[in-house]
Amino acid sequence: MSIRALWIITQEKGQSGTVRFSKRYPTVERRAKSLAGPQYVAVPEDCNILHPLMTELGLTDPDKPFVVTRDDCARPQRSPALELRLEGRGGGVLWPLLAIAQGGLILACLPLVDAPPEPRPPLPSLASVSQGLSLLAGLQNCLCGAGGKPEGEALASRLALLPSILLQVCPLGTPLDSPQMGAPHPNTNHSPAGAQKQPAWKAGVHRGRAVVNVALSEMVRSMQYGSRSKQDLWDVHGSVTCKCEVEGVLPNVTVTLTLPPNGSPLQDILVHPCVTSLDASILTASSVDDNDGSAFSGPYKFPFSPPLESFRLCSYTSQVPVPPILGSYQLKEEQGQLRVNVSLKLHESVKNSFEYCEAHLPFFNRGQVVSVDVKVSSGQLEVSKEKGLLVWVLGQKFPRCREVTLAGTVSFSAQSSGPTDPLCTGLTAYIKMYFRVLDLTLSGCCVDQHSVQVYSTAKPRITSSRELVSSEYYIWNSTGDAPVSSGLLMV
Amino acid sequence: MATTAPSSWSQRISAFIHSPSQFLSSTTSDCFLAELLHELRDDRINESTKVLLLSILQEYPNVLCPSATVGEETTLDLMAIFTQAPVRSMNLKCHLMLATANILVCTSCMDSQAKVAESFLDLLLLTIQDTNDHKDGQVFHPLRAVACDCLREMETCFPGLLSQKLELLYLLKQQETTPLHQAYCVLYTLGLKNAIHLLALQNEVADGELKSILAGNEGFAWKVVENPLPPFPVSSMGEIPLLQMSADSKELRSIVSLLLEESYLLTPASQATLLRELVEVVAMVQALSPSIFKSQLLRLFGTVETTLLHATLLMKATFTDSLFTTEDENFFIKRLVGMAQHPQLSNPQKLFYMDCILHFPENRPISSNGDESLPVLVTPRLAVSLLPTVFNDSSTMLCRMSLLSLVYMEADEEDDKGVSYLFDHLMALHRIVDNHGTREMTVTFFRAVFTFLNYFYHSEKFTNDLTTRLCELYSRHCYLAPNVNNMIDRAQECLGDSGWPIQLLKALQKLIVELPLPQLTLQNLNWHFKVLGRVARESQVPQRSSVCFLLSVLINSSLCTAGGWRMGNAVLAVCRNLLQHPCLDQVFIELADLLQYMMHHYEDTDIQDHARFYYTLLTNLSLEKLSGVLAKGPDIGPAKVRSLSSIMAESEGLSSNLTVHQMKHPVLQLVKFQDSAKQEMSQEGRSKTLEGEEMLRVYQEQFLSPGFASEVILKYCLTHVGDVEAPYHKLFSICLHFDLTDSNYEEVRDINVPCLFKARKPPVVHLKLKPRQPYPTRLRASAVFTTEDGMSWYTQLADVSVSFPDIFLPMPVTMDWSQESREQLFDHIWKSTCSEESSQSATSLFCFEVGDRRLCDLVESNFHPCLISKQPDQESYKVLFFLPPQCHVLLHIIGAEDAIQVSIVTDNWKLLPYINSYLHDVTNGTQKGGGNQMEVPDSRTDS
Repeated sequence: MSIRALWIITQEKGQSGTVRFSKRYPTVERRAKSLAGPQYVAVPEDCNILHPLMTELGLTDPDKPFVVTRDDCARPQRSPALELRLEGRGGGVLWPLLAIAQGGLILACLPLVDAPPEPRPPLPSLASVSQGLSLLAGLQNCLCGAGGKPEGEALASRLALLPSILLQVCPLGTPLDSPQMGAPHPNTNHSPAGAQKQPAWKAGVHRGRAVVNVALSEMVRSMQYGSRSKQDLWDVHGSVTCKCEVEGVLPNVTVTLTLPPNGSPLQDILVHPCVTSLDASILTASSVDDNDGSAFSGPYKFPFSPPLESFRLCSYTSQVPVPPILGSYQLKEEQGQLRVNVSLKLHESVKNSFEYCEAHLPFFNRGQVVSVDVKVSSGQLEVSKEKGLLVWVLGQKFPRCREVTLAGTVSFSAQSSGPTDPLCTGLTAYIKMYFRVLDLTLSGCCVDQHSVQVYSTAKPRITSSRELVSSEYYIWNSTGDAPVSSGLLMV
Repeated sequence: MATTAPSSWSQRISAFIHSPSQFLSSTTSDCFLAELLHELRDDRINESTKVLLLSILQEYPNVLCPSATVGEETTLDLMAIFTQAPVRSMNLKCHLMLATANILVCTSCMDSQAKVAESFLDLLLLTIQDTNDHKDGQVFHPLRAVACDCLREMETCFPGLLSQKLELLYLLKQQETTPLHQAYCVLYTLGLKNAIHLLALQNEVADGELKSILAGNEGFAWKVVENPLPPFPVSSMGEIPLLQMSADSKELRSIVSLLLEESYLLTPASQATLLRELVEVVAMVQALSPSIFKSQLLRLFGTVETTLLHATLLMKATFTDSLFTTEDENFFIKRLVGMAQHPQLSNPQKLFYMDCILHFPENRPISSNGDESLPVLVTPRLAVSLLPTVFNDSSTMLCRMSLLSLVYMEADEEDDKGVSYLFDHLMALHRIVDNHGTREMTVTFFRAVFTFLNYFYHSEKFTNDLTTRLCELYSRHCYLAPNVNNMIDRAQECLGDSGWPIQLLKALQKLIVELPLPQLTLQNLNWHFKVLGRVARESQVPQRSSVCFLLSVLINSSLCTAGGWRMGNAVLAVCRNLLQHPCLDQVFIELADLLQYMMHHYEDTDIQDHARFYYTLLTNLSLEKLSGVLAKGPDIGPAKVRSLSSIMAESEGLSSNLTVHQMKHPVLQLVKFQDSAKQEMSQEGRSKTLEGEEMLRVYQEQFLSPGFASEVILKYCLTHVGDVEAPYHKLFSICLHFDLTDSNYEEVRDINVPCLFKARKPPVVHLKLKPRQPYPTRLRASAVFTTEDGMSWYTQLADVSVSFPDIFLPMPVTMDWSQESREQLFDHIWKSTCSEESSQSATSLFCFEVGDRRLCDLVESNFHPCLISKQPDQESYKVLFFLPPQCHVLLHIIGAEDAIQVSIVTDNWKLLPYINSYLHDVTNGTQKGGGNQMEVPDSRTDS
C-alpha cells in the first residue's frame, strides 16, 4: 500500500514539460525490487521520465500528425494506469503509472505492485492504486485549490510547501492521510490528551461559540433537442457542504435532508467518511436501476462527527420531472445570413428570481460576425464579433408570462476566420444557459435548520442555504443535426 | 573545505535530482557525501539548508552510500548529528531520523544486523514510548510521528521484526489519545498480522502459542531478516496460509473487534490500510469469522472515499459469500456502475471504478483466470448509463467503448440495438474527424474503431459499413494514411482470420486508382503511395490497377521533374513490395514499363539507378530468386539480410540496422592481465648533480611538455565468455569501444584486435586512460566484430572497473635518475607539499597492526614499483604514488612499538577517502597482487 515515486510536471503550450517536483521512496523501491525479481524495472532519473510520460499522455511532438509510439491504435489508453516504455540502456516497462493532468499541470505517481509481476495482476487487486489516486487527488487539490490551475509564482510557492506536506502525510511512501494545504485552524488548539481518543483527521479541538453551517448546492444539466426523434434529457446532482464549529473531541451532529411529498428519491448517495452510520434504505435508490414507486424517499439522516474544516457531507443525483427552463432554438440559412429564432420558457414551479441568467449563442466555422439584426422580448443582447458569440443577458427575472423570445438575423464575413469547432458544423449549433437561483433546489431537497441536531452543551447557531446552478445546460438547434449525449434513449 | 552558499546548494541539489548520474560524473559519490556530511555538521548552516541536504540522503541512499560499509559510517555520522541537534531543531531531527532509516534499510545494514541498526531501532522504540507527550512535551510530537512511521516501514520491509513486541505496541496504542494514536494503531496491526503470518507458516502450532505472541515483549526478531516472509498472497489469489488453532481465539477476536470499532477515528488512507491488514488476519485465522466485518459494511458501501471502497472490494474478493450475500453482491455491482458515472466524482476515479467492474470478484465466477471478464450481473440494461458519448474525454470514451462492447458481445445475438448504438457513436466521431477534429480526437477515433473491431469484426453488416466510411474519410483527408496503415497492421495482427483488413485495402486501392489525375497534388500523392505500398504487401490483392495508376501518374504529372528523391523513393517502395508479390507475373510487363520509364525520365540520378537495378532484377532473375533476394526475416537466413541493405528502397536508417546484428548475450570479456615480470627500477642511474629547489623545479618543468606522464596503461586479456556457440569461436576485426560513465577521464580510443580464436592464446589489449581527476571509474565496453560467415555483430561487454590503485604510477622521472636522487626528490616534494598554503594539500596519519606478517613483505608486495627507499632494519619506507595528470600521494611508513604508522601527504585532499580505504584494504590483507577490486561508487541509480 505504498508508492515508489511521485512527480509534478508543468507544461506550457507547445513546449516540452519540466519536472517541477519529484519525490522517491527508496525503501519502497527496495520492496519493489525484491517483489518483482528479474522483472524489476527501476524508476528512471527525473531527466529520463519526462519523455516517455509525455508520449504516453499524447503530449510529445505536437507538430507531427502521427507518431507510432504515441498514436498506435492498439495502445490501451483506457484506464487511469499508464504503461511507460522507458528509453535508453535497460529500457523496460514501468506499470502502473497513475497520472492526472489538469491544464498544463501533470501529477504522476508509481504505486507498488505488491503481487507477483507475471502474469500482470489486475489493477483493482493492487492496494496501492487507490492510495496513489487519492494522494494525487489530494495534491492536486493542494496545488490548484478551487480556482483552477495556479500559474507562475503562486504555483512555485505552493510547490515549495510540498516537502513539509509530504513529511506529514507520506514520509516513507505509505500515505497516512490526504494532503492538505494551509495553516491549522485558528480557533483550535492542540488539546492535552484526554480520555477520549481524538480522531486522526482532526488536528485540534474547537473552542468558542458553536456554529453550524449547512449549504445545499444543486446543479442541473440538460440537453434539449426540440425534435421528435430525440428525447430531451435533464438531471440534477447535488451536494451538501458543512462547516461545523462545535466544541468537544468527538461531538455528534445530525443533519437531515427532506424531500417534499411525492418528491423523487435521492439516488447514488455518497457520504463523507466522518458519517458514523448509515441506514441501508438511504443507499437503495440508484440511477442505474429501475425506479419502483416504493423507493425510500426520506427523511435522510446523516449522523456524523465533524472535522474542523469545511467538508462535503454527502452528494446525490436525482431525476426531476421537468427542466427549469425549456428552450427552443431554430436556425435557417437565408442568402448568406442566418435567421435565428429562440424562445425560452421558465417552468412555473421555478422561483422567478435569478442571481444571474444568461443565454450564450456561439457560432462556429462561419467567419466573424459582421452584423446582428436581432430583437429580444426581454433583457439585453451583447455581441462579441471576433468570438462569434451572442450573449443574451436575461437579468434577474423573466417577464410575467415567463417566456422570452429572440428573433432576427446574423450575418458573417466570408473572409476573416472566426472560431472553429469540429462538432458544430453546418446547422449543428447550440445555446448554452448559465444561471443561478438562490434558495431553491430542483429536487425539492432541503435542510431544515431545526432538523440539525447538535449534541453539545452550548446552543449552536445554525444556518442553512440552498442554491440551484446550471451546468452543461444545452439547447440544440432543432433544424440541425445534434449529437447524441446519452445512450439512455436506445433501450 | 570550502563552504557552499545556501543558494548554490539549492541549485546543486536540483542538478543532482535532475540526474544523479550526470551530477556525479563530475565528482564522486564519496566526495559529495563527504561534503554533505561536512555541511550537516556545520553549526553555521541554517536548518532549512540542512533539511534540503538531507532530502537527497533520504531519496538516494543507494547512490550516495554504495556499500554497506559507507551506509554504516554515514548512519553513525547522522546519529551523532541527531544527538547533538538542539530540541528547537525538531524538524531537522525528524529529517535526520528519516534519512537514517532510509540508509539503513537500503544499504543492507539491516541485513547484516549492523550495530548501528540495532541502536537506531532502540532509539525509535524509546522515542515512541513517550505516549501523549507526557515526559518530553509537545515539542517531540512530530518526532514521535516520524519514529512510528519509521518502525512501520522497518516492519514492512522486514516482516516480523516486531513480532516479539506486540504487548508493548498494544499498550502504547491503548495509551495514546492524541491524533497520533493512528500511527500506533497501524503499527500494531501490521506487527500483529506479520506475527500471525509467521505463525501460520509453521508446521505445528502449539496451544497457547498465539497467546504468548500477543503477550510477547522481547527483543527484535532479527531472524526474520535472514529468512524473509513470502509476500501475503491475497492480491495474487494464491493459497492463503491458515492458522489451525485448537485453543480459543477469544483474545484475538476482541483485539480485532476493538481495532475495527476504532477504525472510524483513522484517516481514510490509514483506515483502508488497517482494513486490509485485518482482512488478512481474519483470512488466516480460521477461528475468526468474516462476519466480524459485517457492522462496517454499510458505512463502507456508502463512502465517497476510493481507498475505502477499494478495501471493501478486497474484502469481497477474499471472503466472497461467507461475508457477502447475493443481494449484497448485486447491490455492490450496481453501486460500482453508479459510481463509474457519478457526476460528483473525478475522471480518474470513474475510470478506476470501470476497471473494478471488469475485475469484479463474483461469488460464483464463471472463469477465474484473472482476465477481464464481465460479471454476470452487468446486463445491457444496467450498463446503459455507461454508453460512450462524444462529450466524454478520450480515456473515458475508450474505456466505456470497450466495456459496452463486452456487454453487447455477450448479449442476445438477435438484438443488435446496442452494437448499432456503438457503431453510431463511431460515426459521430467520424464526423468530428471529418470536420478537422483535433489530433487527439483523430487518434481516439482510430482507437475506438480498433476496439469495436476487436469485438465485432465477424459482423459483416458493420464491417462493410465501416469500410465505406473509412474510405470516405480517407478520400477527403489522405493525410490520415499513417493512421489507416497502422490500423490495418494492428487489425491483421490481432483479428486472426478476419478478412476485413484486406477488404479495406482493396477498397482503398480502388479509391486511389480511380482518382482523377488533375486533382492530385504532390503532397497527396505521397500519402497515396504509402497506402499503395501497404496494398502491395498483400498477396490476395491484385496489383495491376496500382501499377497502371503509378505509371499514369509518372507519365501525366510533374512527378518526374518535381518529385525529387523523396517522392521517387516513395514510388520505388511500392515497386519493391510489388517485386516480392507472389503474383508478380500478372503485372510483370506493366512493372517493367514503369521501372523503365523511371530510369529514363525521373530526374533524380539515385532514383534512376535504383529503378535500373530493380529493372535488372525483375528481368533477369527467376521469381524464386527474386523473392529470395528481397525477402527479409529470419527464415531466409542472415546472409540474405545483409545483401538487402544494398537494394533497399527506403535506405533511411534501415540499412544500418540490418547490417550489424545485436548479440543477446555477451560473448567477449576483458580479464585483467597478471603481469608476472616485475619491472625493476634502475638502481644504477647517474647521480643528478642538481641541488635542493633546483631539483624540484626541473621535476616540475617536465609537466610543461604536453602529454608528459598523463597516461595510465591497463592490460587486459580479451577472451570468450565461457562456452560460446561454435559460430563465435573464431572472431575477426574486433573493435572494442569504451564509453565513459563520468567526466573524470578523457575519451578512450577504440582498440582494434585482428582476431580472437577460441583455441589460441588470448590477445592482450592495452587500455590507455588519461585521467582528468584520478578517481576510480567504470567504463562501459562494447565490441563490433565479424564472424567467419561474414556477419557483423555488436555486443556489450561487462563494465570495466578501474580501481584506485590501478591508476598508481611510479615517480615520473627518466630512467637515469639514481636511487639517491629519487629519495631527495621525494623529500623535496614532501616538504613543499607540507609547507604549501594551497587549500588542496593535506596531511594525514594511518595506523595499523601488522599481526603475524612481516612489514617488509607487506610493503614489497603491495607498493613495489612505487617504493622510493627502504630501510628494513629501521622499519622505515618511503612510497610515492604518482596519479596523472599531476597528483602525488606520499607515504612514509615507520614501524613504531605497538603499531605501524603511515604518514600521508598529498597535494589533493579529495583523494584522502580513497587512500584511506586503499590502505585499509592493503593492511587487512584483502589487497593482493594485481587483482585490485576496490569498491567503485556506482553512480547509476538503475542498478
